[in-house]
Amino acid sequence: MPSSEREKTVFVIDDDEIIRLSCEQILHKSGYRVETFGNGYEGIERLKAVKPPLLVVDIKMPELDGFEVIKIVRKIDPELVIVVITGYATIETAVDAMKMGAYDFLPKPFTPSELRLIIDRGFERWRLANETRLLRKQKEEVERKFVTLVSHQLKAPLGAVKQYLDVLLYTCRDQFSSEAIEWISRSQSRISEMISMIQDWLMLAKLDRGVLCESASLCDLGKIIEETLQEYQQIPSANEITLTGEIAPDLVPVRGDKAGLGLLVDNLVSNAVKYNRPGGKVTVRAGREGRSIVLEVSDTGLGIPQDFRPHLFEEFYRVKTPETQKIPGTGLGLVICKRIVDELGGSIEVDSKEGEYSVFTVKLPAAESEEEVDKN
Amino acid sequence: MSESKSVLIIDDDSDFVRAVQALLESSGYRVRSALNGREGLQLAKTTQPDLILLDVMMSERTEGFFLLQEMRRVPVLSNTPVIVVSSIYSDEPVFRVDPETGWLPANLFLAKPVEPAKLLSEVKRLTSETSEKSTAATGRRQL
Ligand SMILES: Nc1ncnc2c1ncn2[C@@H]1O[C@H](COP(=O)(O)OP(=O)(O)O)[C@@H](O)[C@H]1O
Ligand SMILES: [Mg+2]
Repeated sequence: MPSSEREKTVFVIDDDEIIRLSCEQILHKSGYRVETFGNGYEGIERLKAVKPPLLVVDIKMPELDGFEVIKIVRKIDPELVIVVITGYATIETAVDAMKMGAYDFLPKPFTPSELRLIIDRGFERWRLANETRLLRKQKEEVERKFVTLVSHQLKAPLGAVKQYLDVLLYTCRDQFSSEAIEWISRSQSRISEMISMIQDWLMLAKLDRGVLCESASLCDLGKIIEETLQEYQQIPSANEITLTGEIAPDLVPVRGDKAGLGLLVDNLVSNAVKYNRPGGKVTVRAGREGRSIVLEVSDTGLGIPQDFRPHLFEEFYRVKTPETQKIPGTGLGLVICKRIVDELGGSIEVDSKEGEYSVFTVKLPAAESEEEVDKN
Repeated sequence: MSESKSVLIIDDDSDFVRAVQALLESSGYRVRSALNGREGLQLAKTTQPDLILLDVMMSERTEGFFLLQEMRRVPVLSNTPVIVVSSIYSDEPVFRVDPETGWLPANLFLAKPVEPAKLLSEVKRLTSETSEKSTAATGRRQL
């Protein structure tokens, strides 16, 4: 059947022949294509093949009743608009049907114009839902393409420019004046900033598409923390920060994506190191608290003034104080953390005292089963 | 540098190639380059470099991966150290390298843009290992 025909088709399922005939007559006159069925089974079979936008179904029928029909057709076509005919005009039956996903109800007896009004509305509703779906699909497609475009067409040229500058400064340093060197270094860090911005942004786009949820397994958070801390301990920091991990022996696994959890810990530790002061400390704790796993990253750094705290998890938000001004960043790290935590069904909170400390506390649901922990 | 080692760069980004070529030459390496996988494999076979620097994502998304596996099947190249450079994340699923199976038989992974000092020290390390005819490249992930 051509879609133009399908898009004006109404199915009527009713054991009462009079109702079937009158529905057919009235709706046919309004330009609809009508198919009628004397029982639920026939209607459902045909519905699978035709996929009409709208179904009118009687509630009280022998064999399969209206409720059962609704239950079955909802599964076949979630977009189908259903109107129920209620014989004994009790509001309760109508309400029950609506709860099961019917769009509207028609109490018997009804006039031709009442029927027409409800069917026209039902079709309008189907058309709108259809348009929204199409738009959403198009939007997703555009977003996906855009992400690919950004990752390849923007990152690659930036990377090439940065590569030239890196090599230039490395191989020809003694041929430049100190001012030239300073300018090249500035260019390098500005480009790095932009590259990290693109990377963080891409990561967010990925999280939006749920990519980090696909590979959920039981993860050993303690191990992830240790690996992250090791990485930071290897980088010689100008600030001489001491990093410590305190992992409770009774820590149980977390269900999640290993890369996502790693990213979470990494972002929190990177902040604790970045916004610290010379000789400062960073402590990462993980332990159990009832049915939750608690991850706590604390530092003895700059702290976050009270007024800024409510905005920390907003995109591109960065605290602007004289102390933080020179520290590079994208303002996306905590947004990424929040998304990951949300995805895992947890929460993240911050406590801080300006000039003294910051503590980020993440609570995650503990994995319950005895499944084998992913050793990778 | 007393003896001069040779490096082959296979990458479709000609600017990256020029910059890295200049860097390696400034440290005394002889450098050849290829802008696509086919040409790269050909050059690798004929010139048998001491080390290969390979981009995984050339015009074809997986070109570099396949090239690397093909290279390992060529007897004269089966032991040549390979550094894979890439601007993609290490958490990208396609990039999750299993150190046990070593299905991607590279010796080292470096993020693009590469840090000059890091690249030079790794190239030096890997090329001096070859001269001792060390063990085969088994795809140890060292990132
Ligand atoms: N441990 C911390 N101590 C002090 N300030 C912090 C800390 N963590 C985050 N912040 C503040 O929150 C802001 C947002 O952090 P984040 O989203 O990770 O972005 P970025 O680190 O790229 O700036 C930072 O710019 C910083 O001002
Ligand atoms: Mg950050």
